[in-house]
Amino acid sequence: MTELGTQKAPPVLQLDEVAVAYKIRGGEIEAVQDVSFDIYRGETQGIVGESGCGKSTVAWAVLNFLGANGYVKRGHIKFQGQELVGVAGEELRRLRGDQIAMVYQDPMQALNPSMRLGDQLTEVLTVHRGMDEKEATKRCIEMLDRVYMPDPANVMKRYPHQISGGQQQRVVIAMALLNNPALLIMDEPTTALDVTVEAAVLDLIAELRRDFDTAIMYISHNLGVVARVSTRVGVMYAGEMVERATVEQIYKYPSHPYTQGLIRCVPKLGADKAGSVLYPIRGRVPPPNNRPVGCIYGPRCDYVRERCREERPELRELPNGSWVRCHFAEEIDADEWTPSEDILPPSIQVGEHDAETILEVKDLKKYYEVAGSSFKDVVGLAEKRYVKAVENANFSMKRGKTLGVVGESGCGKSTLIKTLIGLEETTDGEATFLGFDITEDISKRDTELIQELQMVFQNPDSTMNPSYTVGQQIGRPMQRFKTVPKNQVRQEVIKLLTSMRLGANYYDRLPRQLSGGEKQRVGIARALASRPELVLCDEPVSALDVSVQAAILNLLLEVQHDFETTLIFIAHDLSVVRFFSDDVAVMYLGQIMEIGPADAIYAPPYHPYTEALLSAVPVPDPTVEQKHIRLEGSVPSAIDPPSGCRFHTRCPRRNLLPDGGKICEEEVPPWQYATDEHRILCHIPMETLRTFDPVVTTGN
Amino acid sequence: MLVKDYMTRHPIMIPPSMAAAEAQKIMSENKVRHLPVVGDGKRPLGLVTRQSLRIPPAELGSLNVWEITRFLSELKVKDIMVPAKELSTIGPDATLEEAAQVMADNRYGCLPVVEENVVVGIITETDLLVQLADLLGGYIPGVRVTVRLPGKIGGYAQIINAISAKGWGMYATGSVRAPKREGYWDIVLKVRDVSKDDLLGVLNQLESCEIIDVREK
Repeated sequence: MTELGTQKAPPVLQLDEVAVAYKIRGGEIEAVQDVSFDIYRGETQGIVGESGCGKSTVAWAVLNFLGANGYVKRGHIKFQGQELVGVAGEELRRLRGDQIAMVYQDPMQALNPSMRLGDQLTEVLTVHRGMDEKEATKRCIEMLDRVYMPDPANVMKRYPHQISGGQQQRVVIAMALLNNPALLIMDEPTTALDVTVEAAVLDLIAELRRDFDTAIMYISHNLGVVARVSTRVGVMYAGEMVERATVEQIYKYPSHPYTQGLIRCVPKLGADKAGSVLYPIRGRVPPPNNRPVGCIYGPRCDYVRERCREERPELRELPNGSWVRCHFAEEIDADEWTPSEDILPPSIQVGEHDAETILEVKDLKKYYEVAGSSFKDVVGLAEKRYVKAVENANFSMKRGKTLGVVGESGCGKSTLIKTLIGLEETTDGEATFLGFDITEDISKRDTELIQELQMVFQNPDSTMNPSYTVGQQIGRPMQRFKTVPKNQVRQEVIKLLTSMRLGANYYDRLPRQLSGGEKQRVGIARALASRPELVLCDEPVSALDVSVQAAILNLLLEVQHDFETTLIFIAHDLSVVRFFSDDVAVMYLGQIMEIGPADAIYAPPYHPYTEALLSAVPVPDPTVEQKHIRLEGSVPSAIDPPSGCRFHTRCPRRNLLPDGGKICEEEVPPWQYATDEHRILCHIPMETLRTFDPVVTTGN
Repeated sequence: MLVKDYMTRHPIMIPPSMAAAEAQKIMSENKVRHLPVVGDGKRPLGLVTRQSLRIPPAELGSLNVWEITRFLSELKVKDIMVPAKELSTIGPDATLEEAAQVMADNRYGCLPVVEENVVVGIITETDLLVQLADLLGGYIPGVRVTVRLPGKIGGYAQIINAISAKGWGMYATGSVRAPKREGYWDIVLKVRDVSKDDLLGVLNQLESCEIIDVREK
């Protein structure tokens, strides 16, 4: 509250020209160079950049977690006016425990899997403050309640694996806040979470900052997320801070070409479709031991000139108040930027309307039997229980089209495509692909049919054999399906690699020698190797950096165009699938809730669930107004799905119906047709659905 | 107006083992005048103020330069701080006027805010003065008028009613016992988007209402 007075309080954390180096064999490398910023009380400093830019290293330097070979080479880190560089032992332990807390990306790794959550939480208070057990338990329950944990007293008795990912992250945040720290460092705390959960966690962070006056350092690779929580943003590239400004400045007038590039990588979800076209940043972050001489961003910059190659720019202040490390920041106008040819997304062909229907799915069901543990279950007398992973899926696809499938985790998206490809047996219903029935067991499938259906997986790391070279992995389907004569396989693989922009020299590399984005390109090349008719993509970009995401998406589109393949594309984020999908299906708890042409999905009439998903997407532009709808609770269990409409337990709109939506609990809603192709599974009359305001409006 | 809303959360805190010279440096570098001294778990142990850093010259008088240096380097925070048992603290749920009374009665410049034996913040004279200024509308431009009323029920209400009937907004009010006039109250009002004359026109019509001072600021 002292803000009313003229005197500004000293910063909580102050970094002054900090350089961090790691000692390696034969020398050392500077992972972070000359980074400076201040964080004041009740303020969030966002740190953005691609992987490998040194964001986490900065955070570790503050806590002196750099490991045995890392150290702060130059500069000062001051916390509450006290120097942290060189502080060790007891003093550091005291500061870390009492005043600085950290939240990491993966909550499962921050929690001890073998201890009950209650014991882990109370430990913070009993050890650090010497509080007695009973009092500590009471305080922990209060804190869990504060972070909106449902049924906190019960959660205290559970183990980490018994709660969902979003809840785990809340426990970690609650734990970090128990000691009321002055500084909270959050390293990608929401990257592993669903959009809906992410939105709730981000709201929580903003609220806690206000209530507890905590200074927060928020690290993320996604500018959209940072926009939501930060007051000021620092953009890091290859170990340097390249731009530093307030959130509004960064989005309105991004000065550094890298910042501009990052903004163009994030889907906008604006009023029109054009806004969701993504432009990747070409090239990749140089490794710290191989940085260019002049401007480090030079090799990837669209505006590079002679001076940039020779002279390293200094971080300097612009008249508008932002700090930027670029020689020509004043001359560069982000609005006048046009994508150069190599990163231009391929034009999306409209496609003939009367293209052949190649996939027809009717009332497809996939149930998993649940093994009970009672005596009755064991002898087989009890009634069988099922997880209804996919219930009555109905859709058809035309050649060369793309269907986007969107929903939270556990909604049955992956099961749907696994059933189509034959990895899971169909329980009931029909699915015909090119005239073949694909509900049969996969062992009875024709090789030809298998060849026509291929899949790209979410995590390229775990889907590639680490001991096979790239060439072998891509060549294998060609040999198996005999699509290419044996002596031409190598040529064909190289051709594919080239179309993936990887080049022939990748043929003999092993997966571990590739970056995440490159691995995913190999994964796509492998899926395309057998010239399939239909490619199923299971969240192929969720595990990747934003800049790489854009590149992979554009590449997929290009190959789709060249090879005339049909795509089913799964994502948990509606903004990702927008610009390239012809149709979008929104799934919830095994059921398709809304399906229709992409344009129709993003504008009213919406299904209430679609509306909620849209309002959860982090939008980087602070001028855009987004409706604030947060779903309560998590997705119910699919073993015992809610009666009537499956969404009724979380639906924010059911009060629009008489009796508080009693009908939703009792009756399965009917399909309502907005147009011939756009249908919504909801009791709320179409006329009412049409009156909803758009979720995203560009305010000016 | 409760202490928890106006205190400074997360003040700079120091351990008792810190050298007194270091504490002095932290104070001057960060322009703060009070440093709570805390142990593990932010338990309050004492307070260092500018006063504590003043070492009586008599103590140094008999020492030579070398001895002074040694004396200073060995001087720890715990030797100079006001220890916890002599310290007044306040809880976060106390009112601002309670804090002000404790400080004024004892001539303290600040109070550490302590909740369940943990230092959660600090409230200083400056915080109170800022709030006093804000209470009287010091940070908002407008017409400031002081009205004197006898201490009768309904006097205040007629002023408020008259001003709101005109549709003007009142941004700050404060009432104090009139100095040297037993039984009378002075009311300070800050009214925005109104001219001095319009406001006076309305107030002059009110009964037993004496205008002490008007100014635009």
